[in-house]
Amino acid sequence: MKNQNQSELLITGVGITSAIGQGKAAFTPALMQGQHAFRVMQRPGRQKDTSFIGAEIPSLSYPERFSKRVLRTASFSGQVAMVTLQEAWDEANLAAVDPSRIGLVIGGSNLQQRDLIQTYENYKDRAHLVRPTYGISFMDSDLCGLCTEQFGIRGFAYTVGGASASGQVAILQAIQAVQTGQVDICIAMGALMDLTYWECQALRSLGAMGTDRYADEPAMACRPFDKNRDGFIYGESCGAVVIERADFAMSRQIKPYAILSGWAVAMDGNRNPNPSYEGEVQVIRRALKQGNLSPQEIDYINPHGTGSTIGDEIEIKAIQDCQLSHAYINATKSITGHGLSAAGTVEIIATLIQMKESRLHPTRNLEDPINSSFNWVRGQSVPHDIKHALSLSMGFGGINTAICLQNAK
Amino acid sequence: MKKEDIFEIIARNTCEVIPELEGHVFKPSDRLTELGANSVDRAEIVAMTMEALSLQIPRVELFGAKNIGELAEVLYEKSKSV
Repeated sequence: MKNQNQSELLITGVGITSAIGQGKAAFTPALMQGQHAFRVMQRPGRQKDTSFIGAEIPSLSYPERFSKRVLRTASFSGQVAMVTLQEAWDEANLAAVDPSRIGLVIGGSNLQQRDLIQTYENYKDRAHLVRPTYGISFMDSDLCGLCTEQFGIRGFAYTVGGASASGQVAILQAIQAVQTGQVDICIAMGALMDLTYWECQALRSLGAMGTDRYADEPAMACRPFDKNRDGFIYGESCGAVVIERADFAMSRQIKPYAILSGWAVAMDGNRNPNPSYEGEVQVIRRALKQGNLSPQEIDYINPHGTGSTIGDEIEIKAIQDCQLSHAYINATKSITGHGLSAAGTVEIIATLIQMKESRLHPTRNLEDPINSSFNWVRGQSVPHDIKHALSLSMGFGGINTAICLQNAK
Repeated sequence: MKKEDIFEIIARNTCEVIPELEGHVFKPSDRLTELGANSVDRAEIVAMTMEALSLQIPRVELFGAKNIGELAEVLYEKSKSV
């Protein structure tokens, strides 16, 4: 481990669950090979005479220590949160840390919509029989309860919302909690947003989610930055990262993934889903400035890149005008799908994995890029030692976030 | 439905809520609290049993049952009057 500035903030543990793999050991090769799991979604509550395309987690394996009693009443989002946290927890050896000095920030709101609709459909004509546990599980903060109980966290835990930027918002909050000394360790999680056909239909009607254009070729539907894109494609996922100061990590002899070198949030002052060029430029500049980084130092960008018709155009223009078009760029969502609340954390993890592997993952379906002057990673992964990365997230309601990561090798 | 059948439904639901009880031989004198059921578990077991019996009664009418046998008894009485 390089001799870090003691007050630097590090990421020292990572947990990932996605449709292309549970855990880093499965996720990493799938990411590098551009494997995907896009198809017409099958999970109960996802379709109603519809054929929404998405990527679903094929199966979850649970650690032995998870009690069946808890799993029985935990929502799918809650179960995925617990297995994802387990991986990050073990990697950062948090069992050896004073639990009163550990915090948890869960990014995302309205996470358990599928539970809601299934409960409604099952009990709509006999409301008096609704299961009492629904009174606990309908709240997003149930994920905090599940995780703190399972892992014995005794610092703090709460949820934060920022639409599709929630995962990064959670990281920004965790950074603050460690910086101010509220806790020594803070876990940030981008939680799985469990969509139903209601949300899928509304997001499609809004023009955000992809249309039926690729209904017969689900593998072709998710195509960020390609001229033939027509909206984002959903992908179930959840990510967790462990954040701590360098001196604390060194005292525990924990090897970091990366240094958190710059971060920022900028609001557009706009309730609607449309992106803002000004907001995106602002957030990129703020993050670089905070990290004391010049645009030329950034050698890899993990963009928000959803496949949205307007969003991708605006993002590319913002990146270009911030003098960043020299950097390598790919789109993690082309492989994982859009995890919405999870995306910001999942893509930070994809960036950390690429740093560790000294290799950049491909971008699926990028056949005709909307801007050919960029340094795209397209059909195949490429070797590259990332020194400084920039990851971007944007969400409905005019939120923009950016995080810079410095390789800790 | 006979009282014994209702007792069996309560036992089955208790096992579902508390999987650790698999193999336990339920007796009418068993108290849910002593079997490890917390307040949420107890509410869940009662709700699941009411659902199985298609009962629509205020929960307050079930208060006072001290053990599974008494719970089966009160549910049996209510199911008869529906």
